[in-house]
Amino acid sequence: MDTEGAEARKAGWVRRLLIGRNPARTLLRVIVWVILIVVLRTYVFLPIRVEGVSMLPTYKENRINFVNCLAYVLRPPQRGDVVAIRYSGRSYMLCKRIVGLPGETIAFREGHVEINGQPLDEPYVKRSCNWEHSPELIGPNEYYVVGDNRSMDFDQHTKGRADRSRIVGKIVL
Amino acid sequence: MKTWVLRLVLMGALGSAGFWAWSFFFPAPEHVIRKELLELSKAASIAPNEAPLTKLAKTQKVLSFFTSDAQVTLDVPGRLTQTLNGHDDLQQASFAARSMLNNLKVELVDVFVSVGTDKKSAVADLTATATMPGEKIPEIEELEMTFKKIDRAWLITRVETVKTLR
Repeated sequence: MDTEGAEARKAGWVRRLLIGRNPARTLLRVIVWVILIVVLRTYVFLPIRVEGVSMLPTYKENRINFVNCLAYVLRPPQRGDVVAIRYSGRSYMLCKRIVGLPGETIAFREGHVEINGQPLDEPYVKRSCNWEHSPELIGPNEYYVVGDNRSMDFDQHTKGRADRSRIVGKIVL
Repeated sequence: MKTWVLRLVLMGALGSAGFWAWSFFFPAPEHVIRKELLELSKAASIAPNEAPLTKLAKTQKVLSFFTSDAQVTLDVPGRLTQTLNGHDDLQQASFAARSMLNNLKVELVDVFVSVGTDKKSAVADLTATATMPGEKIPEIEELEMTFKKIDRAWLITRVETVKTLR
């Protein structure tokens, strides 16, 4: 009799732990949490996995990260921000750093970025290069993006002017 | 009260069934194009050790999605710059790819279709990925495909690479 009572008490405790005292309220709570997570995951913090070597050493391959999709709602993208740039959608995105802002002129001289003829301080670049690129004007609604790994060949490294509408958000971590 | 609820449920079920039947028998152009692109990606993919007859059949299948005068312009800086005109060029390119590669997985994702006001033309903006054997990261390119409705079929008339970064 005692054993049966103990088992019933245990079952009741497990049931309470899993679905709570009020199942209807627990169900409502679960629904709210699911909706909240889906909304956060879709519109606020988009999870991504970094692949490729163009952002080394800042971002290593297979690192999980998040894109803050609301980062540029109140302010425009800033120089030095690492951003996600979409293709036609968000299934695949480019992860690059903004080095040039709208209206500026960008050039690569002896591996260094020059903005309006002035060298840009880039503490995040750890590997030197000898990239050369003649001055290029960045359009009024464009941002010049490039990866941190400058040891790659100039032609093999994906970089260039990204339209503002393609910038999905700022990489969080 | 219960009869009203039953009637409402029945009306809802009938409405849903009608909507489903309408979409099944008269699918929207966007839906047809998306389905076509899925089939195209399957036909363009190369399975390991494909038999010669399969290669031929899949090449013919790929061609069936394009108009006879279709133009495919691929411009991937530092890798590939090619313009293919018509079925002959497409057939040659497909055969060449199938003889060079033993395995290739093609996917067309993030498809956005906009149908023209005449309902006879459409443009699809999409991301194409090609994963080759031994490569972890796929080749990714954004493409713009122009479709034309010919005899109730949506055929590709033009394919162009879109420069994500200029």
